[in-house]
Amino acid sequence: MSTSHAGRGTVTRRSFLTISTAALGLPMLIPSRALAAPGANYRLTVAFIGLGGMGNFHLNDMKRFVDSGEVDIAAVCDADEKRLQDAVQKAGPGVTPYRDYRYILDRKDIDAVVISTPDHWHAVQMVHACQTGKHVYVEKPACCTIDEGTAMMNAARDNKVAVQVGSQGRSQPEAYLAHRYLENGVIGRIDTVTCFHYASPGDDQPVPDSEPPAELDWDLWLGPLRWRPYNKKYCHGTFRWLMESGGGQIRDRGAHVMSCAMHWMNADGTAPVSIEATGTQPKKGLWDSCVDMTVTYSFKNPDWTLTWNQPGNPVPKEERTPQEEEISRPGYGAVYHGDKGTFVHWGGDGGTWAERKCREWVPPAGAKDVFKSPGHKEDWFNGIRTSSKTIMNIDAAVGVSDLCNLGNLSFLLGRKLMWDGKNRKVIGDDLANRLLGRPQRYPYCF
Amino acid sequence: MPTQAEEPSARTARFGGIESRRDLIRAIKGDDEEARAAAWQSAENFGASAVKPLADLARDKQPEVARAATRGLWRIVRHCSRPGADDERYAVYTALTGLLSGKNHTQFTRDVLWMLSEIGDELCVKRIAALAANEILREDACLALERIPGDASLNALREILDAAPDAFKPNVAESLRRRGVEIAGIPSAKKTPSKSTAVKPM
Repeated sequence: MSTSHAGRGTVTRRSFLTISTAALGLPMLIPSRALAAPGANYRLTVAFIGLGGMGNFHLNDMKRFVDSGEVDIAAVCDADEKRLQDAVQKAGPGVTPYRDYRYILDRKDIDAVVISTPDHWHAVQMVHACQTGKHVYVEKPACCTIDEGTAMMNAARDNKVAVQVGSQGRSQPEAYLAHRYLENGVIGRIDTVTCFHYASPGDDQPVPDSEPPAELDWDLWLGPLRWRPYNKKYCHGTFRWLMESGGGQIRDRGAHVMSCAMHWMNADGTAPVSIEATGTQPKKGLWDSCVDMTVTYSFKNPDWTLTWNQPGNPVPKEERTPQEEEISRPGYGAVYHGDKGTFVHWGGDGGTWAERKCREWVPPAGAKDVFKSPGHKEDWFNGIRTSSKTIMNIDAAVGVSDLCNLGNLSFLLGRKLMWDGKNRKVIGDDLANRLLGRPQRYPYCF
Repeated sequence: MPTQAEEPSARTARFGGIESRRDLIRAIKGDDEEARAAAWQSAENFGASAVKPLADLARDKQPEVARAATRGLWRIVRHCSRPGADDERYAVYTALTGLLSGKNHTQFTRDVLWMLSEIGDELCVKRIAALAANEILREDACLALERIPGDASLNALREILDAAPDAFKPNVAESLRRRGVEIAGIPSAKKTPSKSTAVKPM
């Protein structure tokens, strides 16, 4: 089979322990101290910023690379001292705890950071990490505003660092099968992709503002956001249900399900020409992201339509045999409509499940192949080592975040937006353009 | 929010029969959660005339009443920002500007500053800039000015910088830098660590 990803080829995973002199001759992104010691038992030195749900997942997951000698964990960082204390215990001896991520920027021995803070911190921390020469794995969604996305793309490009964004659905085994299936036109020309996702929660038991808990640095948690009193419904985890910090389901799972769509439709680097959203916010309480929501994105040349439907029409999960991986999160996914048939997938994040007919499809002779990720972190490491484009590189990830953020913006403004993707501007709507960015509190700004 | 194509009668039905400003305010003040939700979600239909009564409720002691009123104001702000609605927008931001005061409920004034950051122009700059002398509100005032385009906001930020106490100068300088102004002699601490932890390594 031929590979459809130009320039990707089939990069195999190689250990940092066995970097050859020949490999070191490539225009790699490996930190300079590694280049100065070719053949040495070089390990990537990593720090973790943000240690909630995903941060802990990454900390635990990274241990397999520690065990294989590829990675050292140097530092952990969180604005919550209890979380930080827990992380120190998990990370083990020799790992330095920090409350303030900027200490990590100062450490020349740290090569890379894994950023798993709430969304409103992603852009500032990622840009600063790039500017201090560190490779970045940053959780999805990449950013909260269009302007943040622009700054992130510029930071990665200007500082020549490898960035992987945590829409790891692209790296799942069944995502590869889905991509290959669609790429080979089995369901024909696709003109519509219909995403479905269950509704967001409302805050039915609101509580008054209060003093933050002693272990939490509220000022630092807020970071670039405008200041407001602490309310326990802001965090942890529940930041997701605030427009400013989390953006709701569309910016959470939308950054997964629509990531799959953009990848499998070969639409990375393209943008919709119009975005139109409707929805309903919770009737009361602190949370203000949409409970129900429909967003229609129209793409041109080629023409196709992507819709985000919350809840939409969920497709019941297919029955699987005990030998097959169970579909454990069937409440979200997408239906691809082609002129020769349809295709369904469920999930789209760490669990991505493709319909049986796709999994059982045998490529005929001459079929096109697509890039098969060796794993989301492995692909990042490849990017660091060889300068290869990561599967969820920052340009692709900002493209997906743009979908999420423009959907929310269209909803908040109550109007259709005509989008100039090349110049990253709304056409003919000056005040919508004013909301493509938001002022950041000093000193938590890029 | 209703789409632009939606008929007024359909909109009225959709939002639980909120037909007048009086209905709007009564429903937000009342105890019926459904009616309150229907009311604030239709507030954009009432424009500038609803700003003052909603602002009064936004400082209500009942948190859900205050929240509903504030959200109603946000809907008015976003709706009047649509292209071709300059007269409506002018009326809304004039009404909002009249609410700016260091004596008002602080969190509500912050909200008003951020509303003005979205729809305000040079005519509200002076009132916003006056709040830069208020130690609690100055950060939000400067961020609002940073977002409002034009020379008036830029000049206001320059004047604020000149008058600011040393501790606040870096904040204002950063806002000016974001507007493309080169500021020398006031270093940025954006990447300077300042918050240490009590957690010890193993």
